[in-house]
Amino acid sequence: MRLRSRDILLTAAVAAPAMLFTFSRMTAQAPRTPAQRPSWTVGSQGPLPEHAKFTPQQAENGGALFIQNCAFCHGKDAGGGETGPDLTRSKLVTGDKNGEAIGAVIRNGRLDKGMPRFSLSDTEILNLVAFIHAQQDASLSQSGNRRGVDESDLHTGNAEAGKKYFEGPGGCTQCHSATGDLAGIASKFSGLRLEMQMLYPRDAKTKATVKTKSGQTFTGTVEYEDEFTLGIRDSSGIYRSWPMTAITAKLDKPVEAHVTAMSKYTDDDIHNVLAYIQTLK
Amino acid sequence: MNWKKSARVLTLAVAATATMGLNAQNVDSAILRNPPPDSWPGYHGDYSGRRHSALTEINTRNVSGLTLEWAFQTQQNGVLKATPILVDGILYFTLPDHVWAIDARSGHQLWHYAAPQTKAFHIGQRGVSILKDKLYYMTSDAHLQALDAKTGNVLWDVEVADSKKGQWATMSPLIVGNHVLVGASGDFDNLQGFLRAVDPDTGKTQWTFYSTPTVDTPRVAYSGNMWMTGTYDPDLNLIYFGTGNPSPVLNGKVRPGDNLYTCTILALDPETGKLVWHFQPSPHDTHDWDAVEIPVLADGVFDGKPRKMLMQASRNGYFFVIDRTNGKNLLTTTFGPVNWTKGVDKDGRPIPNPDKEPAPDGRLIAPDEGGMTNYRSPSFDPKTGLFIVSASPSYSLYFNKPADGAYGWAGADYGLWSKGVLDAIDYKTGKIRWSHELGQRAGSGVLTTEGGLTFTGDSAGNFLALDTATGKTLWHAGAGGQIASSPISYELDGHQYILTSGGNVMFAWRLPDAPAATAAKRTPTAATTK
Repeated sequence: MRLRSRDILLTAAVAAPAMLFTFSRMTAQAPRTPAQRPSWTVGSQGPLPEHAKFTPQQAENGGALFIQNCAFCHGKDAGGGETGPDLTRSKLVTGDKNGEAIGAVIRNGRLDKGMPRFSLSDTEILNLVAFIHAQQDASLSQSGNRRGVDESDLHTGNAEAGKKYFEGPGGCTQCHSATGDLAGIASKFSGLRLEMQMLYPRDAKTKATVKTKSGQTFTGTVEYEDEFTLGIRDSSGIYRSWPMTAITAKLDKPVEAHVTAMSKYTDDDIHNVLAYIQTLK
Repeated sequence: MNWKKSARVLTLAVAATATMGLNAQNVDSAILRNPPPDSWPGYHGDYSGRRHSALTEINTRNVSGLTLEWAFQTQQNGVLKATPILVDGILYFTLPDHVWAIDARSGHQLWHYAAPQTKAFHIGQRGVSILKDKLYYMTSDAHLQALDAKTGNVLWDVEVADSKKGQWATMSPLIVGNHVLVGASGDFDNLQGFLRAVDPDTGKTQWTFYSTPTVDTPRVAYSGNMWMTGTYDPDLNLIYFGTGNPSPVLNGKVRPGDNLYTCTILALDPETGKLVWHFQPSPHDTHDWDAVEIPVLADGVFDGKPRKMLMQASRNGYFFVIDRTNGKNLLTTTFGPVNWTKGVDKDGRPIPNPDKEPAPDGRLIAPDEGGMTNYRSPSFDPKTGLFIVSASPSYSLYFNKPADGAYGWAGADYGLWSKGVLDAIDYKTGKIRWSHELGQRAGSGVLTTEGGLTFTGDSAGNFLALDTATGKTLWHAGAGGQIASSPISYELDGHQYILTSGGNVMFAWRLPDAPAATAAKRTPTAATTK
């Protein structure tokens, strides 16, 4: 565990998950039946979508709203745009039946990833859901080479060279083990998701040990951190926060090692390590 | 009536006569060129883009007492990205499809214009501009509207770009002489980028400068959209605008060469739109790094010689100092991790590394697509010579394969990691003198003042006042929402105000009135000295 003093914390990089942008694109091509669906589309990553039935008018109204509010980030066709993920490859969209999951994201935003909340009426949200479902259905029914990143695009590396890098200059074994924490990782994640997880596991928690002026010590994971306040949640789920001036905090941010690695990797290194990780099924 | 209110009524009466010189009927070239302290009549305040206030009432010694004077709740969806303008005690600012006029003393709404709904992108609106008695407002579907400043009524409406082809608008027009200068956004389609001069009285086009060829021209770059407010040097009579990225965006193979005039800083003659010089921060861009960030104009000594300079902290991660009389490069440096070049050429331009163009199996690129910085204003502080910019060191993966085609985005990119940091760059050396961590990628612009202060915001939604000399925090307040605009400052009734926005709320800050006892003692002195 790497310990950091409060002074370092105040000036150091805040390693809270950065805005994470995932997206790619799709084209409308010849439709095919779900049974013939290529194995690398979103449907292969989860159960087949069981979207509720919406009217074409709902989808059309939703399309107009989508252009206004969503298309800059998610693309005009929901296939990804500037800074927002491809919704047609989204597992959340795949699992959404009647807008329950999509609606929650629209209403609450994903503030940690840069998506704001939207105050839209229930009707407007359902129209948006109708449009997004229709875009995903169209995307899943297409054949041939699809825009965006497919699993098959990510097999250019050399697993043997990747293993050497992993165990040698990459320094990965300082924290990870192919037979320990990473065993079966390639069964859990695949394709681009696996590569992004490998490069920066953004859900990794920062652990904190906080000492108050009265001498009490608290440990937990960091839930809120800015220049002035630190908030942690302990193992029983209780949230506590303090002014930074009232505590000394030691933060363990293992994910920072991934940021350091990004300044060292060549593209070949990345593809080789990915090829190696892909073998950890 | 308590003391505070009665005292303010008295000062109001005095100030009413004092500020008569600036009246909404008379916002002319002289005012836009030399804004009085009780105004912020254009996007940058003055024409220089320095976003620097000469006011000193709020300073490093007393800023810790800064307090809220009022807040204005727009009660609309969206996050304020607009710079308010202030003329004659009235603030004008916008959200997409909305314009407000409010009393700068109280936050009281005078009028609210709700534009008709359009199908265009509603990603932001950066504010209105004013000349004489008219406001100029870009609708989300890229029309220019002239509004009556007194009422918000639409006087005329002209189409600037065809939104059905994929363009939209966010910009606050730049007004120079008898020209309203406007452009549009749009890189989801292959479109022709342009800047247009429009007659402020009639809406008629005076001239159009195209940054790229018509879209039927083969094997060239399109787009190069001009979507940010430029700057102006009245002595050289040149306007400076940055152009956006080329399209197809991530596929550079179909558009070989430098792709002029995309990702380029242009110096144009405001009377004719004729190109005088150009400098290209990102030749042959394949990462969506528009060079539209504010071209900041400042005069100072560089390498021992007095220079008229133009500075830009560009989205691609490079900071440039250019001689604005002729476009010659004086300094090129990076202000964060950059891995996409093979160095800098003899003219100061980064040399793109072909191995870092988007590829089928991905390329690790720093910075990410949002860039090392973006449209929010930096600020230049003349006293310290610091160019202060909200930066986002970042890494991402860029992909392009044949199936992505050659239209619009034509590829995919994925942000991996980013953070926010306020960097103070010494313009003479390009070295970063201090850095102030802002958490994750932050969205606030920057204002500096002669009071030695730097105002900005962090990613958690804290407004910050820093000591410009050191970068140390002297004051902060939680906004309760995303900070996505650039602060301004002005003086009203003898008091300096700082205006900031968080979420969809506008906040006005000033120092509190002195306690009654102290003020009573002071009153006779104040009266005799006046």
